[in-house]
Amino acid sequence: MGVLEVGEVRKRFGDVVALDGVSLSVGSGAIVGFLGPNGAGKSTTMRAVMGLIAIDSGSITWKGAPITAATRRRFGYMPAERGMYPKMTVRDQLVYFARLAGLGSTQAAEAAATWMRRVDISHRADDEVQALSSGNQQRVQLAIALVHDPELLILDEPFSGLDPVAVETMKTILAEELSRGTSVLFSSHQLDLVSDISRDVVIVDAGRVVMEGDVQDLRERSAVRYANVTFAGDTTWAPVLPGAEVIERQARTTRVRVHAGTDVSAVLADASRAGHVVEFSFTPPDLSEVFLSVLDRPSEASAAL
Amino acid sequence: MTGLAVIRLVMSREIRQRVRSRGFRITTVLICLGVLGAGILHRSLSGDDSRPRYDVALIGATPAGFSEAVAAAARTLSIDIHITTADRDAAVSAVRSGADDAAVDTTSGTLISESIPPDDLAAALGAGWRSARSRAAARAAGLDDSEITAVLAPSGLQTSVLEPSKPHDDDVGRLVGSAAAVLLFISINAFGGMVLTGVVEEKSTGVVEVLLAHVRAHQLLAGKVFGIGVVAMIQFGAAILTGVVALRISGTTVPSSVWFGLPTTIAWFVVGFVLYSTLYALAGSFVSRQEDAQSAAAPISMMFTAAYLTVFALGGAPYSTVARVVSVLPPFAPLLMPLRISIGAASVVEIVLSAVLLLVATIGMLRLAGAVYGRTLLHRGSRLRWKQALTMKSS
Repeated sequence: MGVLEVGEVRKRFGDVVALDGVSLSVGSGAIVGFLGPNGAGKSTTMRAVMGLIAIDSGSITWKGAPITAATRRRFGYMPAERGMYPKMTVRDQLVYFARLAGLGSTQAAEAAATWMRRVDISHRADDEVQALSSGNQQRVQLAIALVHDPELLILDEPFSGLDPVAVETMKTILAEELSRGTSVLFSSHQLDLVSDISRDVVIVDAGRVVMEGDVQDLRERSAVRYANVTFAGDTTWAPVLPGAEVIERQARTTRVRVHAGTDVSAVLADASRAGHVVEFSFTPPDLSEVFLSVLDRPSEASAAL
Repeated sequence: MTGLAVIRLVMSREIRQRVRSRGFRITTVLICLGVLGAGILHRSLSGDDSRPRYDVALIGATPAGFSEAVAAAARTLSIDIHITTADRDAAVSAVRSGADDAAVDTTSGTLISESIPPDDLAAALGAGWRSARSRAAARAAGLDDSEITAVLAPSGLQTSVLEPSKPHDDDVGRLVGSAAAVLLFISINAFGGMVLTGVVEEKSTGVVEVLLAHVRAHQLLAGKVFGIGVVAMIQFGAAILTGVVALRISGTTVPSSVWFGLPTTIAWFVVGFVLYSTLYALAGSFVSRQEDAQSAAAPISMMFTAAYLTVFALGGAPYSTVARVVSVLPPFAPLLMPLRISIGAASVVEIVLSAVLLLVATIGMLRLAGAVYGRTLLHRGSRLRWKQALTMKSS
């Protein structure tokens, strides 16, 4: 039982079913990655948690109780479309949101200063937000979500548009928040980042949860494995193992998909018969491969990524 | 945190951001200069302090009671007459040179002037002369002083006002009332527009999504309307202060109806502003893009402009039945009532009725807006219609 429980939530906008019974759970101090193609219902679910849309049915609870305005003040939210006052300075903006979350004026000023330092934006403290680059605006947006030390973070696409340095800052901050006991639900299209950061993922499609669980488990539960083989010289390896399928072939490397139950040494032996193997790996599919396979709409889904 | 504390926070952000902006400072200075200019212009046009002053030389002995009678006549005619004594030659040359406006030779009973004397001067001197001559004749006929006074200065005409509630239509009152109507129109337009674009800005930048995580929609609405209202009051107050200073500088006598009119004007302004800017806020919450803001607000702008034009159509007939009826209707009251009060044309019953109706309408509007604002604010995509919006209920 998590601290945040979303149970069988349904929401319809006119004729469009946005959420068709979405359930998910975020444990105390846990981080959950929320995945799905565009329009799957990720943002709608997050907005429902933040009380920004009224759900048609289902339940959303925090520590077992329905979420009220007072509870929500202990949440931090970063919407997909960024939301800041363009003509307010970074500092004023942070102080304002800290105060709206209930901090006193001294506390709010201190929290603003702390968070500007943590997201590395202190040098622009008295600049208007509109003068900042989009990456820097995003740092401010994250600081707004965090300035009141929330117990739950709802981050909609926190990594989109960030440069690698900012991505590292964001990852560091999330790790620090998690160790402080904050629970996090975040959505992303960058699946490698998601598997870097979070152990648990929920994948939605067309308003339904299609897969959820521990990333490692999901990968291992997959019915396939991938063998990556690099030969000493140019080699064409045509595997003879039953069910083996060449996915990708370059001059010296070949990527082959086999059934999950296949013996690793049998694969290596098969490859060795074709040439001198210098590198060999045998792994479950990575998260994006799992993701594409569960969506069952490979072309559409990869376009969405 | 209480709801009021939240509203105060939202208000103080609005006030700080707006007062800091250059646009606000510049328009405030321009408005004050305009008011100052209008006040001073009014003074030079109406020429209130240019009471004509005449210098008159007196040749020969001053007849008893002459100076007093001339002074009394001058007062009624709103002129100043300054009398000096001189011998005949000096007096004549002073009149010729223009140093004196006229001379009176008491020995021959002649008024000497270079050309035909001004009517008011001739009338005042003539009245003084006749009064002095009558006094002398009465004394010669053997009357004593009290008898002379009884004959020459009988008690004056008493005034009986049939309708004391109907003070005479006052120019200064009209000027102040019209100026107030113009200022109210400009202010409500400008600051109502500020509320409109402010709401659309919050929607279009998406900041409203973050705000609504902490703040209820109706608190956001109240904080914005009242915060910008305070900013408007600051500007309006500055304009009124400047107006008072302008009237003081010009030495214009300000009728009491104006002193009563000023605070009521402010009260009407506050309530009128809340009524209209709540409407503007609602209209703003219907659209997601700044480009659509004006078209969403068009019905309100049209209604408000119509109210403004009506004020000027009816301002000329502040006592007419139409003016009485229209000035108690809430959309018109904030503009028309202050004008009628300043002129002194509004009865207490009308003032109270108008105030009550306006308050009821404004509170009703706030409640209605508060009920649908949360939904309309989070509505995405195409512009909402008023009908759609009003059927939405808050989540």
